[in-house]
Amino acid sequence: MGATEVVTKKPTISPLEATLRVAWKRAKQVWTQIYHSRNAMAGLIILLFFASLAITAPWIAPYRPTQPVADATCSTLPVPATYLQPPCPAHPLGTNYNSNDIYSQVIWGTQISFIVGIASAVVATVVGTAVGLISGYVGGWIDEVLMRFNDVILSIPWLVLMIIVAAKVGVVDLTGLILVIGLTGWSVTARVIRSQVLSIKERMFVERAKMLGAPSSRILVRHVFPNAFPLIFANTILTVAVSILSESVLAFLGLRPPDTYSWGRIIAEAIENAAVLYNAWWLIVPGLCIVFLVFGFYLFGYALDEILNPRLRRR
Amino acid sequence: MRKVLRIMVRRTVNAAITIFGILCLNYVLIRLMPGNAEANLAPHNPQYAGYLADNIRTFGLDRSPEEQFVIYLQNAFTFNWGISYYWKQPVADLLLHDLSWTLLLVGTSTIFTTLIGMVVGSFAAVRRGKPFDLISTGGTIFLYGMPIFWLGIVLQLAFQKYGAISHVFTWWPWFPTQGYWDDPNTGFPQVWAWDWTHISNVLWHLVLPALTLSLGTLAGISLVMRSSLIDVMTEDFVLTAKAKGLSDRQVLRRHIFPNGLPPMVSLIALDIAFIFGGAYQVEWVFNYKGIGWRTIEAIGHLDFPTLQFIIVIGGVAIVLANLFSDFLLLWLDPRIKIT
Repeated sequence: MGATEVVTKKPTISPLEATLRVAWKRAKQVWTQIYHSRNAMAGLIILLFFASLAITAPWIAPYRPTQPVADATCSTLPVPATYLQPPCPAHPLGTNYNSNDIYSQVIWGTQISFIVGIASAVVATVVGTAVGLISGYVGGWIDEVLMRFNDVILSIPWLVLMIIVAAKVGVVDLTGLILVIGLTGWSVTARVIRSQVLSIKERMFVERAKMLGAPSSRILVRHVFPNAFPLIFANTILTVAVSILSESVLAFLGLRPPDTYSWGRIIAEAIENAAVLYNAWWLIVPGLCIVFLVFGFYLFGYALDEILNPRLRRR
Repeated sequence: MRKVLRIMVRRTVNAAITIFGILCLNYVLIRLMPGNAEANLAPHNPQYAGYLADNIRTFGLDRSPEEQFVIYLQNAFTFNWGISYYWKQPVADLLLHDLSWTLLLVGTSTIFTTLIGMVVGSFAAVRRGKPFDLISTGGTIFLYGMPIFWLGIVLQLAFQKYGAISHVFTWWPWFPTQGYWDDPNTGFPQVWAWDWTHISNVLWHLVLPALTLSLGTLAGISLVMRSSLIDVMTEDFVLTAKAKGLSDRQVLRRHIFPNGLPPMVSLIALDIAFIFGGAYQVEWVFNYKGIGWRTIEAIGHLDFPTLQFIIVIGGVAIVLANLFSDFLLLWLDPRIKIT
C-alpha cells in the first residue's frame, strides 16, 4: 500500500525529519568509530554504570535519602546512637548527623546529578545554539552585538554570575537550579557553534540552495543546523560535565534546594560537620562519584568531538 | 604596519566595549537582586542609618535611573566605590588589596599550569595514540573532572600538619592549609616585613592553593596544546618537510612549533577566566582572602557596595588579560598581519 503513496507524495520532509535523517546517517558511521575508540568506549561504560545506578536507585538503595535509619549496630559511641555511625557492613559509608544512611544518599545523588547535568546542558545548548546560529549566519551588526554580549558574559567570573542569577531566580527547587546553571553556561557553546556555522556557510550546498532562491530561514533550518548538529551534540555532552561540576560547586557554597541530596550537598554537609575527624569516606566517596561521572562525560565527549570534528582526524 | 595598527585599535575598542558592557550588566544585575537598591546598599538595621545616607549620596539613589547610571559610571572610574558596611572600609581599598593576593595565586598557578600543560600536551601530540598520549590525556581529563573545591579539601587532608598520612610515614611533608602568611613565631599574621622569612612564608602558604588550582586547570592547557599541534601536523607543509628528509626533531622545531604555539597564547588568555573561576573555590577552601573569598563572604553578608564592584574588577582583569594576549599574538604570529 505504501508504494503508490511514496511515488505520488511530494518529496518534502519536515525540518525535524531532515535533521533526524542526517543525524541518523551520521550516527551509524560515528558508532563504528566510537566502537573502535578506546577513550569513547571507556567513557561510555562509565556513563552506563552511573546511568544504571540512577535508574535502579529506588531498588538498590536500602533507605531513602532523608529517611533515618533505625538501627545503631555500628555505633561506637558509649551509648549507641543511630546518628554519626562509622562505616560498617550495615551502613557501608556510615550515617550522618540526621541518622541518614550515607551510602543510600550517594546512590540517590546519581539521579540528581544526571537530571541537573542533562537538563541544564539542554537549556545551555538551546540558548547557545540559537545565539551561535543567528550570530554566525546573519552576521553584520547582530553578530557584533551578540558577540560583544558573549564577551561580557565570558569575562564575568562564571561563579559570581551564577550566584547572582541564583539570588534572582531563587534556588527553591530543581527547576530553579537547572535554569541558573543553564542560563549562565551557554556562552562557550555559542562561540563553538558560531565558528562552525561560519565554515558551513561557505560550503557548496549552501551556495546552491541560495542560488535556487531558498530563504535564509530555510537554509538555516534545513542545511546549516543539520550539518552543525553532530558538533552541537558533542558539545552538549561536554556541557553536561560542566553542569554537573557547577551543581556541586553551588551546593558546596550553600545554594542547594531543600530535600535534594546531590553529591555536592553530601560533601558540603560532610565538611560542615567535620567528617574528616571520624569518617573521611563521607567526604571522599561522593567526591569520587562526581569525578568519575564527569570523567565519563568528558572522555566520551572529547572522543566524540575528535571523531566528529574533521579537522582533528588524521589524514 | 597600518594593518597591525588597525587591528590593535579594533581590539582595544572591542575591549573597551566589553568593559562598558560589564559595567552596564553589573548595574542591571545588582538592581535586579531581590529588594530595591536603596535597601540593598545598607544593612537592614537602624544602627546603619548613617551608611544608608552615605550610600544614597554616593550612588545618587534619590535621583532618576538615568542620573543614577551616570553617577555610577562616574564613581566606577574615579574609584569612589562606597563603603563596605560589613568590613567598614572603602570598597576600593579592600578590593585592590584582595586583588593583589588573587593575582599572586592566579599568576603562580597560571605559570605552572601553562608550562606543565604545554610540555605534557606537546609530548602527547608527538606520541599520538601511544601509551603516553592515552595516559596523559586520560589523566588530565580526570583532573579536569574534579570539583576544584573537593580537590583542595583532599589535598588539605593529605598534607595537613598532623594528618593521617604523616602519622604513618614520618617523612611525609606538610603544608599550611589556611591563610596567606603568618608570623613564624606567633602563628598569626602580625607585622609584615619585606624580608626572606616573610616572603618564604608567603610562598610556603601558596604551595597547596596554587597546586590545587594548577592541577584543576591543567587539562585546559594540555588538551588544547595537543589538539593545536595535531592540527598543524596534518598540514601539507609538514608532509613536505618530512619528504625533503628532515628529521622528526627538525620538523618539530622548525615547522610544527612555530605554527602551533602562537594560537596557544589566545587560548591561554581565554583560560584565565576559567582559572579565575577556580580561584574563587580555592580561596574559599584555603581561607586565602582574595577576591573570591571576599565575593563569597560579601554574598553571605549581602554586602552590596562590595559585591557591586567585585564583578567589575574580576571582569576587567580578564578583559585586560585577553587584550594583552591579542597584542602579544600580533607580535608573535606574522600570519595575522597578512590576513
